[in-house]
Amino acid sequence: MNVRLRGLVLAPALVLGVTVFINGCGSSTGGNSTQQQPSVTVSGASQVRLGSTATFSATVTNLTNTAVTWQVNGVAGGNSTVGKITAAGVYTPPSTIPTNNTVNVTAVSVASPSVSGTAPVSILNPIPSITGAEASPVSGTSYTLEVDGSSFVNGAQIQAGGANVATTFVSATELEATVTIPSGTNTLSVSVSNPNPGAMASNATNASVYVTTVPTAARLLDQATFGPSLVTIRQVQSAGVDAWITQQFNTPDTPLANIPTPLPAVCLSANTPTNCEESEWWQTVLTGPDQLRQRVAFALSEIFVISSDSDNATTITYYHNTLAQDAFTNFSTIMHDVTVSPGMGAYLNMLDSAKAPAGQIANENYARELMQLFTIGLNLLNDDGTLQLDTHGNPIPAYTQDQVQAFAKAYTGWTYATSTGGVPTKFPNTTANYLAPMVAVESAHDMTSKTLLNGTVLASGQTAEQDLQGALTNIFNHPNVGPFVCKQLIQHLVTSTPSPAYVARISAVFANNGSGVRGDMQAVIRAILEDQEARAGDTDPTYEGGHLREPMLWMTNFLRAVGFTNTDANSSYFSLSNYSNNLSQRPYRSGSVFNFFPPSYVIPGTKLNAPEFDLENTASAILRLSLADSQVNNKITSFNIDLTATGPLGQLAAAGPGQMVDMLGTIFMHGQMPTDMRTEILSAINGLGTAQQVRVATFLVITSSQYKVMH
Amino acid sequence: MRTSRRTFISCASLAAAGNLLGLRPFGALNALAAPSNDYKALVCVFLFGGNDANNTLIPFDTTGYGQYSSLRGDLALAQNTLLPLTPAPNFALHPGLPDIQTLFNSSNAAFVANVGTLVQPLTRAQYQAGQTAPTNLFSHPDQQLEWQNAAQSAATPTGWAGRMADVLGASYNSGASIPMITSVAGDTLFCNGISTSPVSVSPGNLGEPSCSEGSECSARQLTAQALLTLDTGISLVQADDSITSNAYAYAKTLSDAVQSITPLQTVFPANNGLAAQLKQIAQIIQVRSALNVQRQIFFAGIGNFDTHAGQLALQSSLLAQISPALAAFYNATVELNVATEVTTFTMSDFSRTFQPNSNNGSDHAWGSHHIVIGGAVKGGKIYGAYPTLALGGPDDSGSNGRWVPSTASSQYAATLAQWFGVSVGDLPAVLPSIGNFSTSNLGFV
Repeated sequence: MNVRLRGLVLAPALVLGVTVFINGCGSSTGGNSTQQQPSVTVSGASQVRLGSTATFSATVTNLTNTAVTWQVNGVAGGNSTVGKITAAGVYTPPSTIPTNNTVNVTAVSVASPSVSGTAPVSILNPIPSITGAEASPVSGTSYTLEVDGSSFVNGAQIQAGGANVATTFVSATELEATVTIPSGTNTLSVSVSNPNPGAMASNATNASVYVTTVPTAARLLDQATFGPSLVTIRQVQSAGVDAWITQQFNTPDTPLANIPTPLPAVCLSANTPTNCEESEWWQTVLTGPDQLRQRVAFALSEIFVISSDSDNATTITYYHNTLAQDAFTNFSTIMHDVTVSPGMGAYLNMLDSAKAPAGQIANENYARELMQLFTIGLNLLNDDGTLQLDTHGNPIPAYTQDQVQAFAKAYTGWTYATSTGGVPTKFPNTTANYLAPMVAVESAHDMTSKTLLNGTVLASGQTAEQDLQGALTNIFNHPNVGPFVCKQLIQHLVTSTPSPAYVARISAVFANNGSGVRGDMQAVIRAILEDQEARAGDTDPTYEGGHLREPMLWMTNFLRAVGFTNTDANSSYFSLSNYSNNLSQRPYRSGSVFNFFPPSYVIPGTKLNAPEFDLENTASAILRLSLADSQVNNKITSFNIDLTATGPLGQLAAAGPGQMVDMLGTIFMHGQMPTDMRTEILSAINGLGTAQQVRVATFLVITSSQYKVMH
Repeated sequence: MRTSRRTFISCASLAAAGNLLGLRPFGALNALAAPSNDYKALVCVFLFGGNDANNTLIPFDTTGYGQYSSLRGDLALAQNTLLPLTPAPNFALHPGLPDIQTLFNSSNAAFVANVGTLVQPLTRAQYQAGQTAPTNLFSHPDQQLEWQNAAQSAATPTGWAGRMADVLGASYNSGASIPMITSVAGDTLFCNGISTSPVSVSPGNLGEPSCSEGSECSARQLTAQALLTLDTGISLVQADDSITSNAYAYAKTLSDAVQSITPLQTVFPANNGLAAQLKQIAQIIQVRSALNVQRQIFFAGIGNFDTHAGQLALQSSLLAQISPALAAFYNATVELNVATEVTTFTMSDFSRTFQPNSNNGSDHAWGSHHIVIGGAVKGGKIYGAYPTLALGGPDDSGSNGRWVPSTASSQYAATLAQWFGVSVGDLPAVLPSIGNFSTSNLGFV
């Protein structure tokens, strides 16, 4: 058998000159009395690999006209089953190996069609080539190995770490396998062999062994940054959650530039310098490397709210930079720095609040809201954030009106610092210094004694600074602060609906970071992001929770995912505010100290406490749809967003709409796009041009509730 | 074929999603149809932040003004700048309210004095003795919500307008193509019923979502709507599916209704956010027949009334927006021939301390004075009891002039509700505490 088979295979590989004797016919060329027989001899490669070509030549003897036509397996010009051959003899194999992988290439004399020559050629699989390989963990030491490259054929075999592994053929450019990688391994040697006929190994490469999966990395980035991109997803996959958080803690802040004096024309918007301030904010959150810091600062800015509605925008950059610099310090530092900031001072009127003369009372604004909104809340809380109840089942107020007035007195005496940061000679200082902490003028401070929370007394005769420190310490140590603040941080970063147990776990870290320190922000942030409830959705896409992407985050998430170029003549990012403003949000432009949406908001008809949903109604939903249309059609002023056929997504779509939609699933939906959604989108874009496929698919993803609700 | 299939799926699943979450469709119920020319609308204008009513409606007689000016200090408005009220000569208005003065003097506006959140009648002594009072007095969000839900605490998740829609929808709006309640100022508790929910409208922006995909637009929208029907099992996703599905439907209904509208002749003041909201309300009232509604409630709002500092200038600028906006809206109802069918009223978190603070401002207080406007209003009068202007006096909850209300916001609401069509029997369903008060009708409309 072997011999015969071998003979059968080998015989056609010999190049044969076929001489055809023609009986009873006169020579068509005539005139040559020697009457030598015409012949055609074909020469060329005996093997050709899929994806390449082979050129054949024909030698015609004893005929004046040496032209030939070409056939494959007797079919003129060949066909898609056996391969095609051009008039010049260039043979292109079919897209897959035919049942019989040897075909006959025949040249037929034009002058004498009965004269021909044939050469057999064997069609072999191509030699695969690897461009990259990545191993993502599944569980334990089990990883999904993805190999990217070219010329992979069905049946291709991955060799990982020198051993063959069960391989799934995804496409000519992608293979997958499940592999076991011992912990601590950073790289894995990978090569690929296509099957016979013509089996041969590819180049070898070292696969990146990721610490985390795409869902883990992308979800973390959605929780902790202004939006994932493919690049940042890979970064987190490489570093792992814990190490990435540490890297981010160590990344210095990207400060918002202070608005120049005198004010350049580009900064003016309706006679206020908000134009430059908001441009700075957008640019920093979109492009800064200190993403976690900026995202936490954003969350803090939605708790410690100030607004250019009534604040001069010049002070907002200072305020924002204070929050960003303090984001990873201690909560007591944040309380202090916010309290003495000129932005908060002007917004809630601690600025220039003087000791009340007879017939007046001290301004209660900051005293009340610092407790009600920023630190304690109205009612006594359990450590898990739920309400403590009295014997009648009613909530228990956390402070009294008298205590509000006592704190109001404690905060008197503060005004703008001088231009050099010093204490002015008069109160109030009517020359604003927007870029330095407020300072105390003792003559304007109420030095009477004040009874604070838990009966703590600030003794009479204390300075403004002493009273301030005493008051802030009194509040900071109130047991409500941990659950009150931590629940809101969880809601801003991870989920609107944390379980009481989740809140309790973070409150415990707030109370004690493990080293006896209360209010350690790094410990709190790490605990929030690494909590089992934050990470459950990594492996279970239907895990309850998440939160609506508020309009500004929805916009930054889009821009960071698809990439953008700023095209403004002044490099301004301000135009983005015009779009977000339609959706009731602009940087540092809340309508009141209660933020764009209150933390207590409950979706009507449900029991779901979901703050961001306060901005989502039948009017704003339509406006968001219209904005999505502008975004995917590159109609955002000052920005170029490349969703064309030649852009990154367009190139994927050209290779296959499924690949493009899968990429949208990765960059927008943590690689967790539901199958039915994927099917609907692919059906919708079927038959459209490449660029329109990208635009429509992207629109459908970013307007779906499945995406709008980050979960 | 594809179109009809997807449309069907979309509608069917919307109802399913709503049920899963307990989200309410606005509900078209079969019931008795009221006469087709019977139309009434209530328009709430919420003054967010707590308007200082002490400087809105001011005593004008010598004794009263004297008490006022002696205690108000730097916040006292000069008597010769006040706008007198002819039918109520002992009172005058803030100089920023000339249009309200005109409406009051022509009997198309009234005031209700010292009205505020209450669970039961309460005196200063009873309050100080700890008798049942609203929770979290002096807190903005709580008092905003308690005005809106007419309950003791902010935790009650429905508003009295929403509960009116629950009660009246079957009788008056059985064939309506939009909900009874429209908010032009975003989502608010006031509008949420137990079985009904409102439509939100962005002023000046009634249309459907824009699309740049030419002939592919309708297919794109159908797929986008179909995606809202896929069950994800995530509660918040389902909630957003429901809101967005309603948004598509209402946008189409409203943009169809206003397509061939005749523009209003009434000129609304420019650069005035409240005026833009009220103009949008007038336009929707104009197409009430196309929407097939006989009862409508609207919610509008304007903010920044939290005048802890620099109050005089700040409140003046705000009242100067309210006055012409409310007047233009009243004029539009006259133009539309519905002046006696539309009643507009104000609400606010609370009033402010009568005693000023040391920053030329005032702080959070309680009972307030509110404005009611419309052709049906028995105007030119001040209803309720104006407080005694004395710190620590009979109406002060403490010592800084935070007035204990002498009239409950529930009574104010009940009066409007009964004009609107709520029967005495249905009143407790709308305003559960109304039975605690001696009267449920203050008689101002």
